Amino acid sequence: MKTIDIVKRAGRNLGRAKSRTFLTAVAISVGGFAIVASLAAGTGAKHYVDQVISANMDEQSLVIYADSKFTDTSNAATNFAPGLREYDPDSFESQGVDMKALTQDNIDQLRQRDDLASVEPFYQLQPQYVTFGVDKGQKYSSDVYAYDGSKVSPTLVGNMPELHGMLGDDDAVIPQAYLKTLGIEESDAQKAIGSEVTVRVQQTPQSVDKDEIQAAFMKGGEKAVQKLTEGKTIDKTFQIVAVMGNSVNELDQQQGVFISSNAAKELSDFSTEGTDLHGKYMMAFAVVKDGLDPAEVKDSLKNDKFYASTAEDLQQLLFTFVNVLLGIVIGFGALALVVSVFGIINTQYISVLERTQQIGLMKALGASKRDIARLFRYEAAWVGFLGGALGAGAAWIAGTIANPWITDKLNLGDGNSLLMFELLPSIGVIVLLVIVAVVSGWLPSRKAARLDPIEALRTE
Amino acid sequence: MIEVKQVTKTYGKKKNIFTALDDVNFSVPSNTSVAIVGKSGSGKSTLMHIMSGLDRPQHGEIIIGDRDILKLKARQTDSFRAKQMGFVFQSFFVEANESCYENVSLSLEMSRTPQMERRKRIEAALADVDLTDKIKSKAGDLSGGQKQRLAIARAIVNQPKLLFADEPTGNLDTATSQVVEDLLFKYQTDNKATLIIVTHDEELAARCDMQIIISDGKISEIHEAAKKESK
Ligand SMILES: Nc1ncnc2c1ncn2[C@@H]1O[C@H](COP(=O)(O)OP(=O)(O)OP(=O)(O)O)[C@@H](O)[C@H]1O
Ligand SMILES: [Mg+2]
Repeated sequence: MKTIDIVKRAGRNLGRAKSRTFLTAVAISVGGFAIVASLAAGTGAKHYVDQVISANMDEQSLVIYADSKFTDTSNAATNFAPGLREYDPDSFESQGVDMKALTQDNIDQLRQRDDLASVEPFYQLQPQYVTFGVDKGQKYSSDVYAYDGSKVSPTLVGNMPELHGMLGDDDAVIPQAYLKTLGIEESDAQKAIGSEVTVRVQQTPQSVDKDEIQAAFMKGGEKAVQKLTEGKTIDKTFQIVAVMGNSVNELDQQQGVFISSNAAKELSDFSTEGTDLHGKYMMAFAVVKDGLDPAEVKDSLKNDKFYASTAEDLQQLLFTFVNVLLGIVIGFGALALVVSVFGIINTQYISVLERTQQIGLMKALGASKRDIARLFRYEAAWVGFLGGALGAGAAWIAGTIANPWITDKLNLGDGNSLLMFELLPSIGVIVLLVIVAVVSGWLPSRKAARLDPIEALRTE
Repeated sequence: MIEVKQVTKTYGKKKNIFTALDDVNFSVPSNTSVAIVGKSGSGKSTLMHIMSGLDRPQHGEIIIGDRDILKLKARQTDSFRAKQMGFVFQSFFVEANESCYENVSLSLEMSRTPQMERRKRIEAALADVDLTDKIKSKAGDLSGGQKQRLAIARAIVNQPKLLFADEPTGNLDTATSQVVEDLLFKYQTDNKATLIIVTHDEELAARCDMQIIISDGKISEIHEAAKKESK
């Protein structure tokens, strides 16, 4: 038989068993649906990560550590193993991990490099409280960060520094989210501009010896001792020059008062004075000079025992994460496919049994074993194609309907869709299902091909 | 010319062996009608199946033209059957859910007839069996006699040199049988084909040029009408 005739006949045979064909197709379409939907979610998630990273990070930016623990993931298990560790005055302890700190010397050394445009250490500021001029006296807990000029942040009101610019040493920027607590309507945000914000930083208490305590007690009694041991504080007042708007694409938008890096350094130095942490930083943010490849700079830093991660590293890390999640979902889709394989085998077997007479007749009329096998394989292929088209189509429709809702629920921001359908992967899934169906139809089609025509024609 | 030489067909093994055909020998000249007659279970159908290459004997040769079809490869036998043979069965075996057109088309698909020629030939075959007006009807809706006529159309559409019919009138009443028989004989004479009919209808057997009487797997008698020279 000619291939075209077999294809047509296969289609007609299926058309005659409409509900069975449809139900078998639906069974496979479940797997197809899951796979197409997860592929779409993968594309969407990667697209979103891409967007978030380009919105949050300068491609040229690097995060530099003195310790390889955070950049070297290959022996994460030993790096992050719990247990008692030896004290090291040069280390930070962060989330149960000892981390070698960058020293001021390191920062100076980095600043001297000609492949880095700027180097800013990360100042750890834990202010006791902050107060606002518009809201006299009330103390608030708030983080305080050095302003990061490597990206442009959205402005609600006021003047923000330009890209790669820095705030003046007396300037501060507050996030939009603070307005409500301060009793300022968003429409009235202008009111915040020019008002003051005061940051109180407490020095880590100095170690005092017995004699000093005794002397203080003699002089001023219990109060003097308390004062001696409680540590000094500093109040620094800034003027609010801008309110930062919310950005939906911010990965984890730092919410806090932003001040200039000089001011941050001053406060940080004050708070760590006299401790082992003075002049030491967990990490530093650097910007690679234009025209240089951050990855190459990263390698060159490694030779000097500095460990950096690039924007791309972070992107890769997030992609890995996305891929793992996707792998799981696709795995479930594949499981559904495996289950449907048995459905196909079953229906095809029934179909062969029901049609022994037809098979016998075709053989008597000169159909070869191969023709018969092909007829059943093409029928399976048709079912696979139908299932694939059904699954992909349903995923496409469901995705289009669900997208606005998902975007809203996950706060992805307008114009972002979690499910991004692409034609090629969908076609790929349909082809996959056709192959799966043909493979599952292999045993039944072999049975049909081997049927003895005389036996078959005896069935009356 | 078909020669059946020393054909032996057995079923089962060792103790349970059953010999359905026992050293059968005869030859049928071309352009002849042959009746294979005998009691039920005597081996008529088995013989017909072996002669058409559908079944294989343990021993023997079936020479059609000048080649032994049992020595051909499976694919060659299949294509030989598709192009040179036609079959009519007692229980019609038409595809009830397909139209008459599609039923006849099956034979043309088997013989790989070009698409262009198909319609013309199907129409001609259906006209031969007087089913022109049923071309689009579902085969399942036809009467028994019409179904058998449709089966004949399907068998003759490739204009085979060999037409096999196993009890073609077994399920039909006398009047309808007559029509079916006439169609078979008409085809045989018009196309100078060989018609091999398995039957236990003596009248039908008598209409044939040659009668092969078989009992218990052996040929007991062969009658040849004098009107044709046997070769
Ligand atoms: N597959 C088989 N296994 C065992 N015996 C078989 C098989 N097929 C046929 N036979 C036997 O072979 C003998 C011949 O069968 P066959 O069908 O040729 O008879 P027949 O002459 O056509 O009879 P009827 O007129 O009833 O159709 C019978 O006895 C039958 O039981
Ligand atoms: Mg029989």
